[in-house]
This record gives sequence, structure tokens and C-alpha cells, in this order.
Amino acid sequence: MVLRADHVAGAAFVIFGAAIIALSRDLPVGQLSMPGSGFLPMIVATLTIIFGLILILRAKESGPFSELGWDDGKHALMVTAITAAAIALYEHLGFFFTMLLMMITLLIVIERRNPIRAGIYCIAIVLFTYVSFVYGLKTPLPEYSF
Amino acid sequence: MENTLISLAHGFGIAFQLDNLWYAFLGCVVGTLVGVLPGIGPLSGISILLPVTFGLNATQAVIMLAGIYYGSQYGGSTTSILMRIPGEASSVMTCIDGNAMAKKGRAGSALCIAAVGSWVAGTFGVVMLTLVAPPLATIALKFGPPEYTAMLTLGLIFLAYMSSSSLVRTLLMACIGLLLGMVGIDNMTGHFRYSFDLAELGDGIGIVPVAVGLFGLGEILSTPSHTVVGEVITPKLRELLPNRKEWRESIMPIARGSVLGFIIGIIPGSAHIISSFLSYALERRVSKHPEEFGHGAVAGVAGPESANNSASTGAFVPMLALGIPTGPITAVLMGALMVHGVNSGPQLVTEHPDVFWGFVASMYVGNLMLLALNLPLVGLFVTVLRIPYAYLYPLIIMFCIVGVYEVSHSVVDVYIMLIMGVFGYALRKFAFDPAPLVLGLVIAPLFEQSLRQSLIMSNGDYLIFFSRPISLGLLIVSVIMLTLSAITFVLKRKDWREKLAEAEAGEMET
Repeated sequence: MVLRADHVAGAAFVIFGAAIIALSRDLPVGQLSMPGSGFLPMIVATLTIIFGLILILRAKESGPFSELGWDDGKHALMVTAITAAAIALYEHLGFFFTMLLMMITLLIVIERRNPIRAGIYCIAIVLFTYVSFVYGLKTPLPEYSF
Repeated sequence: MENTLISLAHGFGIAFQLDNLWYAFLGCVVGTLVGVLPGIGPLSGISILLPVTFGLNATQAVIMLAGIYYGSQYGGSTTSILMRIPGEASSVMTCIDGNAMAKKGRAGSALCIAAVGSWVAGTFGVVMLTLVAPPLATIALKFGPPEYTAMLTLGLIFLAYMSSSSLVRTLLMACIGLLLGMVGIDNMTGHFRYSFDLAELGDGIGIVPVAVGLFGLGEILSTPSHTVVGEVITPKLRELLPNRKEWRESIMPIARGSVLGFIIGIIPGSAHIISSFLSYALERRVSKHPEEFGHGAVAGVAGPESANNSASTGAFVPMLALGIPTGPITAVLMGALMVHGVNSGPQLVTEHPDVFWGFVASMYVGNLMLLALNLPLVGLFVTVLRIPYAYLYPLIIMFCIVGVYEVSHSVVDVYIMLIMGVFGYALRKFAFDPAPLVLGLVIAPLFEQSLRQSLIMSNGDYLIFFSRPISLGLLIVSVIMLTLSAITFVLKRKDWREKLAEAEAGEMET
């Protein structure tokens, strides 16, 4: 049997629905005349499992899982990692340094752009955004706090 | 009618205040840029800029955000015509004949017809909104929890029926959205649900991190910069005005597109996208020269561009009058109003007339601004289109992080955005449309509350939904929609959506 894209997607949703039901054990379902906080989550999680199963049953309509194009995976992974690092540093390094570092890393490490041009572009953009938010829109941004 | 005109005059008084004019202008400019730039849709644009409106009052905020929405419909055509890349999903059909016209040296005419068509349709949509929304809101005041439950159910099923992906895929996404919407404290019992001891999750998962993650970051993750290439055709300013023949050929498609777009706009689903597809199909069907379509037919630009603008205005009718979002964009706009303490719905007209009528009047002004902006500034937009995507997406990621963080100054929200971005990337790989997820997330609290209230009212009797005429009517329509979709699904027949998608794919390849 060929493993198809909808086999994987359907299975993921079945597992997700089952996980929600497991997590909802502590929530009271209540009665029809007085539904509890677990009432609707149980119904929706069950529907998720049912729809996931239908997806698996009709998986032959989708392409083979092995043929899903992951050429952009490396780019996506690197962007995700750099963004995650920026989020982790955001409240410590503050807006200016974090965003400058993130943009420079994205442009130089991933995009292989000229470092001087990329540096000037990033400083200009981050500075302009900082001034616009803090002074133009009166919206405070996180400051360096180490 | 007289009351409507008096209220509209009051709305114009608000819309013409200098600061409101400024925010309408700002929204229109940003919206046009959002529409022009490939990779940023109106949803991500509105979501990213939502926190910027926190310092404004509700009227200014909704005027600016709505300006971004309908501005993006105008701007989307520029990229489609000049680059054959849809700047926005609803401009896909404009690529076909718009770019063909540009290659024949009629880029200016195509841009002008698109802008005038958008203006006529946008204004028609606002006139209809002015006439339809207030009486609809009066009827909606009679709605109780069972009617709301039935209406929200119908909304989800309508979305599934109208969606370009399959019924099961759409309903799955809606279920995930509903489940995400149930995270946090249960309003009726005070129980914490799925918050994993994180205080930040007590208030639930916000629309902004989810929408920005799925549509902003998710799009960037799926779009490596080396894949974004395109030649920009630069129109000559002296060729901007269409000739008499082109004007003549565009009048009826603009009229048909305006009416069709508004009707589809009221129906839940990604109306502005569907309307342009249907308008293109309609124009080709009624044309005396269908063979011209795909080779620079004026109607192929005028119809779809009018339809998507009219639909984007039509989508405000259920949002403003019933408090029900017809799609993710109106859902985010409703969220924006909630942030400002204003609930959209039947009480909006009576409790916040300044917001309602100020907003409606600002749309008349905004459409005029867009017409004035789009043609003279086409040179500027061409310059913007020349910025390499590699320089653009780090900027968008920065705005995603800042935008989400500023909503509640919570880094947890930003992590949620990142998770949603990765989830959005995976969904695209497996051909899921994330839009129903956002809709599910937004309606989850209202849906759960009205369902539980209905059951409590009836002492657990499900017949309450069938014993009240409005909810019965709405449920009958839901069953009809579900049956129609199920027949197609079970018999594996191609329905109108698949046929249309195939026809469109064929046109794009040629």
C-alpha cells in the first residue's frame, strides 16, 4: 500500500482529536439540560476524529506522501529557528537589538546578501520602525533589560 | 428610509472629521500596498497592523482597518496586470486578461478599467450596505440563543460549501478552530480548559497570533525568496486612459460584477475570492467573443475586479447587522472592534451609531480616495514591486513579532504565532485552506454560549432548534447545503467549484 498525504494528515487529526478527549477527562460534560465545560469540546473532538478517519478512508484521492515537495523545508526551518531565537531574546535584548540581529541574520545567513548593503538596510528599517512606534504612535516597545 | 438618510448625513459628519479622513487615507494607502505586494494578503496586513490601532478610538480603528481591506482589493490588480502574479488571492482571475492586455501595450487601460470598476462596485456595495444593514439589524434583534446557534451552524456549513477545498477538509479546519477557541476559562462555569498552567492562556488564544501566524508567517515559510521572481511591465502614463471601445466593453461587466459580488459577499466564505472566479465565468459565458478571454478581453478585467470589490463590501453586512463574520477578515475586524469595547451585531446601529454610520460613510470617501490614489501613484507601486522579496520578508517577520507582542505584551502570544506559522506551512503542504480555522476560532465562544444557553432554556430538549421558525429555516438551509456537498462528495462528482478551479488552472497555464 502506498502511503498517501491524506493518510498522514488524517492520522494526525485523529491523534489530535484523541488527545483532546484525553485532556478533557477532568472537564465536566454535564447533562443536556445543563451542559458543562467539557460538553462542546467532546463533541468537536469526536467530529475531528470522524473527519480525520474519512480523510484516511478517501486518501487515494491525494498524492503519495513521498511526492510532497519539501524543497523549501530547509529555508522554512532556518527562518523558523531564527524567528524562535528572536522571540526568546525579544524581552531581554529589546526591540532594537533583537530585530536588528534577526534581520541581519536572515539577510546574510539565509539570503547571502552583501553584508554592508544588508546592514545599512536593516539599521535604517529598524530605526525607522522604532521611531514610528515609540514617537509617532506612542506605542512603547521592549527595551534592553539585561 | 428618511432615518437612514439622516443617519448617513450624521455619518458623513464623522467621516469628514480631519483625523478620520487621515485614518481612511492611511488605511487605503497601506491596503493598496498590501494588495500590491505578493505574499501579504489583506488578512495578514490587517492582523499585523491591528495593534497600531489600539491608540485610536473604535471609529478610527475600524475606518483604518476596513480601508486596508478594500484598499487591498484595489491594489491586488496592479501586480496581477503588471507582473501576472496575483498580489492578493481575489486577483487571480485578473492575471489572465489583465496581463495579456499589458503585453499588448494596454497596461494603462487595464489598470484604469480595474480602478474605475473597483470604484463603481465599491460604491454600489456601500449604497447597498447602507440600505440593507439597518433593517437586517432590526430583524436580528428578535434573535435568541437558538437562532444564533442555527445561524452560526449555517455560517460554518455555508463556508464548507463555498470553500474551494473539500467539505471534509473545510469542516476539519473549522473543528480545529472551534477547539482552539475553547482554550481558556469557560465563561459559564469558570473551569480552566487546556491552559497547561499558563496564566496567559486563561483568556484564551487570540485571533491575532493565530491569523498572523497562519497567513503572515506561514506564507513566508512556504515562499523561499528564490521562487519570487517576476518582470514588471511599466505602464506609460499617457496610455492610462482606455479608448472608447474599451470603455464600452467594460460597462456591462462592471455592472454585472457589482451586483454578483455584493450578493456573494453576504454569503459566508471567502466571498471576494469566489466572486471574482464566478464573475469571470459569467463574463465568458455571456460574451459574444468568448475566444478573446485569456488573450486580453476587457470584460475579463472589468468583471472580476468589480466583483471582488463589491463582495468585500457585501461581507460587512452580516458582520455589522448580525455580528456574524462571513470570513476570516471580517472575523479579525470584529475582533478589532471587541478590543475597543464595541460588539458588532444588531445593537451596533443603536448603541454605537457613530461607529456604524461613521464607518459606512468613510467607505464612500475611501472608495473615492482609492480611485484618486491608484492611477496617479501607479509609478510608485511599480517601484515597490521592484524591491526584492529577500529584503521584504525579514521586514514582514519583524512586523509580525511586533504586532502580535503589542496586543497584550505577551511573549507567549508570539510563540503561539510561531507555532501557527509552522502549522500553516504544514497545512499548505497537505492542501488545507486555513481560513475556516480562523472563522471557527472567532465564532467558538458565541457558538458555545448560544448552544448551551439554548439547551438550558429548553431543559435539554434539542427540539428547541426546530420549534422556532427562524432557527428551523436556517437549519433547513444548512441541511440542504450539507446534502448538496455530501452528494458531490459521495458520488465523487465534480461540482461547480472543481470545474471552475480546473478551468482557471487551464487558463493560467496558457
